[in-house]
Parts: sequence; C-alpha cells; structure tokens
Amino acid sequence: MTTPTPRVLVASAAAKGEIFPVKTIISHQMETGLRHDAQGRVIPRKIINKFVCRYGGTEVFSVDLHEAISANPFIEFHLRATESGQLEFIWEEDGGGVYRLEHELVVA
Amino acid sequence: MMGLTRRDVLMAGSAALASPLFSPGTARAQDETMEFVERLTGRTATVSDRLHLKMPAVFPTGYTVPMDLDIESPMTEDDHVKRIRVFAPQNPLIEVAGFSFVPQRSVPRVSARIRLAKPQHVVAVAEMSDGKLLMTKTWVDVATNGCI
Repeated sequence: MTTPTPRVLVASAAAKGEIFPVKTIISHQMETGLRHDAQGRVIPRKIINKFVCRYGGTEVFSVDLHEAISANPFIEFHLRATESGQLEFIWEEDGGGVYRLEHELVVA
Repeated sequence: MMGLTRRDVLMAGSAALASPLFSPGTARAQDETMEFVERLTGRTATVSDRLHLKMPAVFPTGYTVPMDLDIESPMTEDDHVKRIRVFAPQNPLIEVAGFSFVPQRSVPRVSARIRLAKPQHVVAVAEMSDGKLLMTKTWVDVATNGCI
C-alpha cells in the first residue's frame, strides 16, 4: 500500500464567533479484515481508527472510525472560531501509524 | 457429520439478531430500532427530531454512501452534544463511527461516507450533556452491497 496522504481544506481566517467548515481526507484502503486473498487467507484489518482535531492545543473534535467507513475516509466537520491559533489534525492507523497536518487560523 | 463451525455459530447468532429487525415501513420498525439501541447501549433512547441524519433513500453502490448528520443544540456548557454514534445494524460489523464534540468550539454537524452491506436503516444515537440518549434512523436502499 502506498503511504497514506492526508489533506485538509479549511479557511485561513475567520470572524470571531463564526462557524466554519473543515474538510479532511486521507488516502487509505481501509482494509476491513473481513476479506480473503486468492489463497483463502484473511487479509488482516488495517484501517484509520481515530481522527482528532486540536484547536489551540485543546481537543475539540474526534472520530472513532470503524470498518464501515469508506476507503479514503472523508470527514467534514464544523468549528466555531474563538481565537487565533493552530489547528492540528491527527489520523491514527492500526499498527501505530500516525499522520498529521497543521494549519494556522487567524481570528479577527 | 461435521461439527458446528465458528462461522456457523456466528451466522446463527447474527441471523437471530438481525432477522425481524429493520424491515422498511413496518409499524414495528420503530420499536425494533429502540430495542436494538437498548441492547447495544444498555439504556433507553428517545426518538428526537433534533437529530437529522440525511442520507440518500436510494444509492447505486454500498461502497461509499454519503451521510450528513446535524443535531440542533446550543452547544453551551450546560446543554451540548457529547457524542454521536452511528450504526448499520445489517452490516457484518454494525458500528460505523463515533463523533465527539466539545461545548463552544465544535458544532454537531458532520459529513462522511460509509459502507453498507445491504439496504437497511442506519441509526444515529446522540449522547447529550445531561446524560440523555436521543436517536433517529433513516432507510437507505443500496443497489450493490459494500462488501465489507
């Protein structure tokens, strides 16, 4: 499998109190562990099992992902702009892989 | 004669769990969903129109069905949504996702794409800050299964 590549689409500036969307996606097979290969062996589960968004160092949104989340998991969520700060996006994979992105948000 | 395989046990178990549940449009469907949520969480959930689970009624593929969730909540310290869990009771693995929120800074409005193994009711259960469980469900007909 190729290395999962995360991407985030979010504004760089927001008005105080504004609700803004965050679109995230990571390229990933999301192998369920329910499939078999040509020899009849179970293909082991390998999914992104957790997504976390921190805002100014505080966790503000998270997702527990299970096998029924489609390949290349897309998650759109909404935050309220309270102050300028860093947004951190963290994806955790079965087996310990961690993928991250950071984004600076200016709130005026 | 062959003994009962693990697969047989699993299939018998899941068939028993799934058999009368979630037939579309029956008067019992609502009771069945409530029962399902109660069995899963050990608590009683209230059907609420504050929860909006928007999914296509018919979709060509079960691999990637769009799902929009929106919950009406002031998201204050005293009154907010803590968590939403989504279930697909007719999937081989019924749990789909759990979304967690915090007051003031996140808004309980999310979208994702999910796999559905067959036509079924998708169920959303919201845990509120006062401990109450609210729920809703929506019927989705998929033409080809999501083979998960």
